[in-house]
Amino acid sequence: MGRPSEAAGMEALHQLKSTEPPQWLAPSASLSESARAASQHLFASLRPHVRKSPFDELLVDNFDAEQIWQQIDLLTQPLVRSIRRRVKHWEKNPAEIENLLPEVADGGKKVAQGKKMEEIDDDDDDDGGDMDMDDDDDDDDEEMDVDNDGEQDGGKDEGDESEEEEEEKSGGIEDKFLKIKELQEHLEDEEARHYGLDAKNKKSKKKSGSKKLEDEDDDSEEGEEDKEEDDDEDEEVDLFAGGDDEDEEDEMGNARYEDFFGKKKGGSEPKPRFKDELGEDSSSGEEEKEEELSSDDDDDEEEDDDENVNKKPKVLSTHEKEVQKIKSEIEKMEKANLDPKTWTMQGEVTAANRPKNSALEVDLDFEHNVRPVPVITEEVTQSLEEIIKKRIIEGQFDDIKRAPGLPSKAPRELKPVDENKSNKGLAEVYEEEFVQQTDPAAAPLSFSDEQKKEASTLFKKLCLKLDALSHFHFAPKPIIEDMSIQSNVPALAMEEIAPVAVSDAAMLAPEEVFSGKGNVKAEVELTQTERKRRRAKKKRKFKAVETKKMASKKAREDELRKQKEAAGNGEEQ
Amino acid sequence: MEIDGVAPPVPEKPLFEPLKAHEMSDGKVQFRKVSVPPHRYTPLKKAWMEIYSPVYEQMKVDIRMNLKARKVELKTRGDTPDISNLQKCADFVHAFMMGFDVIDAVALLRMDELYVDSFEIKDVKTLKGEHKSRAIGRLSGKGGKTKFSIENATKTRIVLADEKIHILGSFRNIKIARDALCSLILGAPPGKVNSKLRQVTARSAELF
Repeated sequence: MGRPSEAAGMEALHQLKSTEPPQWLAPSASLSESARAASQHLFASLRPHVRKSPFDELLVDNFDAEQIWQQIDLLTQPLVRSIRRRVKHWEKNPAEIENLLPEVADGGKKVAQGKKMEEIDDDDDDDGGDMDMDDDDDDDDEEMDVDNDGEQDGGKDEGDESEEEEEEKSGGIEDKFLKIKELQEHLEDEEARHYGLDAKNKKSKKKSGSKKLEDEDDDSEEGEEDKEEDDDEDEEVDLFAGGDDEDEEDEMGNARYEDFFGKKKGGSEPKPRFKDELGEDSSSGEEEKEEELSSDDDDDEEEDDDENVNKKPKVLSTHEKEVQKIKSEIEKMEKANLDPKTWTMQGEVTAANRPKNSALEVDLDFEHNVRPVPVITEEVTQSLEEIIKKRIIEGQFDDIKRAPGLPSKAPRELKPVDENKSNKGLAEVYEEEFVQQTDPAAAPLSFSDEQKKEASTLFKKLCLKLDALSHFHFAPKPIIEDMSIQSNVPALAMEEIAPVAVSDAAMLAPEEVFSGKGNVKAEVELTQTERKRRRAKKKRKFKAVETKKMASKKAREDELRKQKEAAGNGEEQ
Repeated sequence: MEIDGVAPPVPEKPLFEPLKAHEMSDGKVQFRKVSVPPHRYTPLKKAWMEIYSPVYEQMKVDIRMNLKARKVELKTRGDTPDISNLQKCADFVHAFMMGFDVIDAVALLRMDELYVDSFEIKDVKTLKGEHKSRAIGRLSGKGGKTKFSIENATKTRIVLADEKIHILGSFRNIKIARDALCSLILGAPPGKVNSKLRQVTARSAELF
């Protein structure tokens, strides 16, 4: 596909800008086309500024969105880095911004500067490029790997070239392009920037010493005193001045432990580097200056380290101050929580677990379980005596009464042992015993038994009469075994005095009513033989009765006849 | 001899009546002689007829008093039904000589299981002088009530003759009475003995 013209690209951009957001939700071919055109246009516009991009133009035909983005990425990443570097550089040296603008008009100096900047940038780019290469190698697709490798090689080659250039130059004489001093300064600046802003501090603080530094540097340099170096010094002074403008506060006022001894992680590394460099610098110089410088430099280094490590701005806003306060309070409270509690907060504390006499200082609250001792007064004694008198009059002493024992068993009948000489002979005693064992009924009742029986009969009679008055708890007459004829009359008539409850109970028991023997069967239950037997029996009875009747009749008749005959005979004679 | 399967008829089992005393001893007469202590001489004279009648008439044993020898002699007759009668009569007379009343001693004649047990105080505990007197007093009690209480409770008859103690009754009752008397000799108060007796008799009464 041919490269669209700039106008078409701009048009595409405008179109993209004008589309409404909801339209982006659904994929549409026209939008994608316009997007591709716009990105191509942008790519083309950026391409001149980047030196070593593999693509001259953005390839969009049949490429994925991912692939297109990768191409753009490749182009823009080094560009972004270089821009960033430039901006930071200009932050430090705002004067150079002015230099950039009239770049075309000024002389070789500026151009040289610009070129230096470019060289610096190149170096940066190389470094950055190399770093980018490394990063990209990790992240990119396989398609890009080949490209990356190619670029890497290119980058390396370029780096090598630059190094070769430097070697050639350093081995020989410095050019107007490359100055070792400037290179060194630049490296220092870089490192200062990495590990804090102490470089400026160094420069700002040591205005007096700066010249010394410069002198030192000049002296330390191996036989290189050029006018260019003076120029460089001026430039350095400018640089230093620039540094002064920016940073004003001293860091020596807020000296901390870390300033002197540095944090454990990052402190060790930069220290030796600085020391080595400055050591080299100061080795050839005067001793006093060396000492001063070393001490100052040490402080500066430590300050650098401190700054590098802490990364704290010197001026705290009110909010930050508040936050700091709260943080310190929180730390305090957390510490208190972690510590073991005071003895008052622990549970049960014995005297051994708390400091001496500490219980006296604490306001303790406990219950007294003991009643306070009563104060004996006249009134108390009076009241007591009154109680005593009253009790004596009443006779109500709180005597202990024997608790009644539980009746577990019926108490044994204890026969009272007779203490008199027994009237009965031994034989009679045994006789009685024998008789009792064999035939208890016939045993003659002992004296006590008779009395008992009499008493019981009397009591029963009494009870009967009393029960008659309370009808519903009626009990029948006591069983006195007498011979009495009882007729089959309803019990009610016989016993009830005031009839309340009607009772159908008959006096006679059924067996007394019916005096039958043997197996009594109803007529229905009889078998044939039994029926016959019954009939035969009846007949026999009847016959017997009849015969008796007949006999008696006959006898009567005979008698009558006899009487008649007798009478007749009597008459005849 | 008939050589038949049928055996000759077995004679009937003979039925013998118990031997009479005379027949047992092959016609010989058996004697028992019971000596009379001096302190029982007058009581014997008074109660002679009561002794004589049951022995002679019911036991069918001849009895006579040998005044010169101061002995009561017993002899079997021809119609003495059982040889043990003689012995029983002898025991009966002997019991009377010990000090028992006739009516109590007659029980010996009527019942077989009655025995007479005798022991001395010194068998239980060696007591001398006053202690012995006191022990005897404890045994009898005031007006004899302790002794009577024991007699009534245990259905025995007790004779306290200075040193000697005689108990007449059945075997078990003799034991109970003896235990009570021994505890009294050893020094138990009468009240305790009475309560114990009561318990024992109640228990023994429950058994039957």
